[in-house]
Amino acid sequence: MSQKVIVIKEEVIKNFKILRAYWIEIVYWILSPLLWVLPLIFQGKALVGGLKSVAFEKLTGTSNYIAFVLIGAIISTYMFSSIWGVGNSLRWENYVGTLEFILNAPIHPIFIIIGKLISNTLQSTIFVVSQFLIVMLFLGVKFAFYKLLPILIGLVLLIMGLWGLGVGLSALTLLIKEAGGILHTVEFILYLFSPVRYPTNIHPITNFVSKFIPLTYALYIIRGTLLNIKINFWKNAFYLLVIDIILIPLGFFLFKKIYDNSRKKGTLGHY
Amino acid sequence: MQKIKHFLRAINAENIKEWKIEISYKTDFIRTFIEPIVYLLPYFFYGLAVVGGRHSDYLKKLTGYSDIITYILLGYVLMGFLGTACWAMGMAIRKELWYGTLESVFVAPVPRWVYIAGMALHSTLHQGLIMIFQTIVIALSFKIVLNLKNIWVALIPLILMVLSLYGLGILIAGLTLLVKQGWTISEAVYTLLTVITPIAYPLSVMPDFLQKVSKLSPTTYGILGVRYFLIGEKIPFSIESVFIRLIISIFVLTIFGFSIFLTIDKKLRKTGTLSHY
Repeated sequence: MSQKVIVIKEEVIKNFKILRAYWIEIVYWILSPLLWVLPLIFQGKALVGGLKSVAFEKLTGTSNYIAFVLIGAIISTYMFSSIWGVGNSLRWENYVGTLEFILNAPIHPIFIIIGKLISNTLQSTIFVVSQFLIVMLFLGVKFAFYKLLPILIGLVLLIMGLWGLGVGLSALTLLIKEAGGILHTVEFILYLFSPVRYPTNIHPITNFVSKFIPLTYALYIIRGTLLNIKINFWKNAFYLLVIDIILIPLGFFLFKKIYDNSRKKGTLGHY
Repeated sequence: MQKIKHFLRAINAENIKEWKIEISYKTDFIRTFIEPIVYLLPYFFYGLAVVGGRHSDYLKKLTGYSDIITYILLGYVLMGFLGTACWAMGMAIRKELWYGTLESVFVAPVPRWVYIAGMALHSTLHQGLIMIFQTIVIALSFKIVLNLKNIWVALIPLILMVLSLYGLGILIAGLTLLVKQGWTISEAVYTLLTVITPIAYPLSVMPDFLQKVSKLSPTTYGILGVRYFLIGEKIPFSIESVFIRLIISIFVLTIFGFSIFLTIDKKLRKTGTLSHY
């Protein structure tokens, strides 16, 4: 096995060991996105008096606002994981005092980042699948397996784009150090302009900005498939692919540039 | 008296220290004022999408008030103080552990709760400023007119709610000492209280068992009390009973929070695991 693959594998194992040590986090990440939806369900019930909304259907193609926000909350797990799990990962190593050790390994740090990307994707997938299973079991939602393929295509394209974003953000934490604020801002911007909790086409500005966010197209594909909303699958998949083609090289380029620059200036381990 | 003065000085020193740290990260400091506004917008847009307009007849039937934007704003703005308890107070000790300054802070000649109280003071002031800014910006953007005639009396349930949340903050701080990775506790309590509090909806739309749980939380009475005075929301209890329940929760949560905090602190010092990571 090549040295690079071993490093990636060890990084994945390390992250799973850390997650297992804080087992309560696993419960938290599985349940919290589902709990966050409850206030929106109660809010919807208080506003229209039922579980369907005609006005909502005009905007989204479905009157079932509960299913709309549930899918948004579950799939957004990937986005938050890319921002915090990958984006903040080097800063976290900095906090716990292990950044210099891992960067001193005789391998380019991008392979360590790739290990973090893979472990975060695997962990997020475990959370997302568990959430879908909970929804299917407790809410009696049925799932037709022929719908799996378009959903998987949408998810893979989304994850690839988020990898680019995560790598770019992790580079940013090498540059800015106390980048928690910036990560929070990125999280809030993506959260505001993605159709996670509401249809972004309700306002021209949110509609415009949402077109640049990969989660938007992934949610169109997944909601469209699961809720039988009429969508153009190939068009949305194509847009996602275009965003991926831009985000992935951009993220890796930023990482290389900032990493090399920080090493030259000797600011890698700065707090 | 001398002792109280001594404690108050330490509380204020902690408050000033926190302001200095926050202001030194300027962008981050500015973000704390903008972020809560951004946070609220999806709830507004979601409400507008579900109703198809700004006024809901069904909400009016339930609460006596139809403007969904004002209704949602008041609920979420007040919930900002829950963050004070869960994050600022609860995570105060964990932050010092991260920075490597926990032991230095803890050898100061004051009880440990004084340190948490300083964090509470700072966070309440900061959150208060955020709340005022958030309300003004959203009120101007969405042309909201509030009945400010009752503003002073509306502050009473708000203050009582914040005081009882201090007890909760102390409790979370104690549990954070014990489990170390305390953000999960802060987040879990925050999520749980967000679910059981009638933030953007009346109690009546929640399932029966959740309504019962909701009646145990001070945030329920704080929010319903403030909305009662500012927009005349119909609430399922008398306003006197809101005050009484809030006062009871101050006593219960403070005594319970302090007991847990002091017990855990004592245990960890005995076992020498206070500064474990």
